[in-house]
Amino acid sequence: MAVAAEYEWSTRFQEENDRNEELSAHGKFFTCSYLLDMETKKILIRTHSGKIDTINVDPGPLDHYQFAIRASADTWRKFAMPTPPPMYHGIWAASFQGDMKLEGDLLVLMQNLRCLTAQLEILRVVGAPV
Amino acid sequence: MPKAKFSPVTGRYVTIEVEGDEYKVFYLENGSGQPIVCQHTAGCHNHQWRGLLEDEEFTQNYRVIAYDLPRHGKSDPPLNQEWWKEEYKLTADFYTKFIVTLCDALELENPIFMGSSFGGNVALQLALYYPDRFDAVIPVEAADHSPGFYLDWWQHPHANAAQVCASGVWDLMAPQSPDKDRWATWFYYSQGSEAFKGDLYFYSVDHDLRGKLDQIQGDKIKVVMLTGDYDYLTTPEDGRRTASQIKNAEFIEMVGIGHFPMSENHELFRSYLKEALEIISAANKAKA
Repeated sequence: MAVAAEYEWSTRFQEENDRNEELSAHGKFFTCSYLLDMETKKILIRTHSGKIDTINVDPGPLDHYQFAIRASADTWRKFAMPTPPPMYHGIWAASFQGDMKLEGDLLVLMQNLRCLTAQLEILRVVGAPV
Repeated sequence: MPKAKFSPVTGRYVTIEVEGDEYKVFYLENGSGQPIVCQHTAGCHNHQWRGLLEDEEFTQNYRVIAYDLPRHGKSDPPLNQEWWKEEYKLTADFYTKFIVTLCDALELENPIFMGSSFGGNVALQLALYYPDRFDAVIPVEAADHSPGFYLDWWQHPHANAAQVCASGVWDLMAPQSPDKDRWATWFYYSQGSEAFKGDLYFYSVDHDLRGKLDQIQGDKIKVVMLTGDYDYLTTPEDGRRTASQIKNAEFIEMVGIGHFPMSENHELFRSYLKEALEIISAANKAKA
């Protein structure tokens, strides 16, 4: 993905996130950072009080995040379809039945599970960047 | 006069004794005919059956009864025990005894038992251990064995257990199921976190019928299994494998629906349930 396309994707993700009604209503304490590892691309998302703080495409080796969600590019493409096929329709489904791995501080993931789930479903609107 | 619409569904309590403990059990019911006894999923309550309870096509021929298992919905923990001093772990033995005692208390003749998830697994247990008490069972989203969901995350004190339980089962539903029904199911789950983990002790640990399915007397009790293709815990492959080992059992794969079919999308579920009930009815006619 070219730099311009990455910028466009990040901008769209942020816009969709920041106007998401569920996140606006329930995201007051949704503050965390996590890595989406998509095999051919890594994305570090930092959220503060439900709004996107930064989206870092291809972060550096020392960039910090609290947990990571890793899967193949193929899994993320299916995950990001408007209606994902069975077993690609969420991080639990893709972890139990597919190649997705949840790593790092999973307590932070669980503490933010409600809003994180809503945030990841934004991929169904903007698509996967891989 | 304010605008009001009354439901034909009625609720009632019955107090029963199981293994020396006293339980005040709440149940909803509607309809007349052969009883269908409905069990909700782990950590939930009987509102999951709200669509079926008001579905006239079913209630004109069946008496639909949906109860709350003790510690769920409006059924309290045992009245005569200091239950808060013990860790709750549901066992197959208690669970089956409770259901049979409730059916006896309600004087149900020839009931069909239907349950989803941990209710589907107990339907298999009932078919194995109580084949004379039920006409048939409909295990929904069930399998001979369903490991992996007895997790500490459901009750971790550093996380919001209500949200972890509710959002932790979100992916068990199909994304195309109606939003209002998926969110109603999510809402029910936010109410049941205290019992969820203990229920899953049965679901993922105590329930294990591997190597025993051929002992189910499928000529005496009809088994019709239903599984949605979006269920990542007990997949259609798990359901098919389980049904194939039970004499005379049938398996129906439900397309475009997940682990809580009656609650997440009753409109789609009802067509598969109709098919299951027709199979049971045909089997009974053949037996007669």
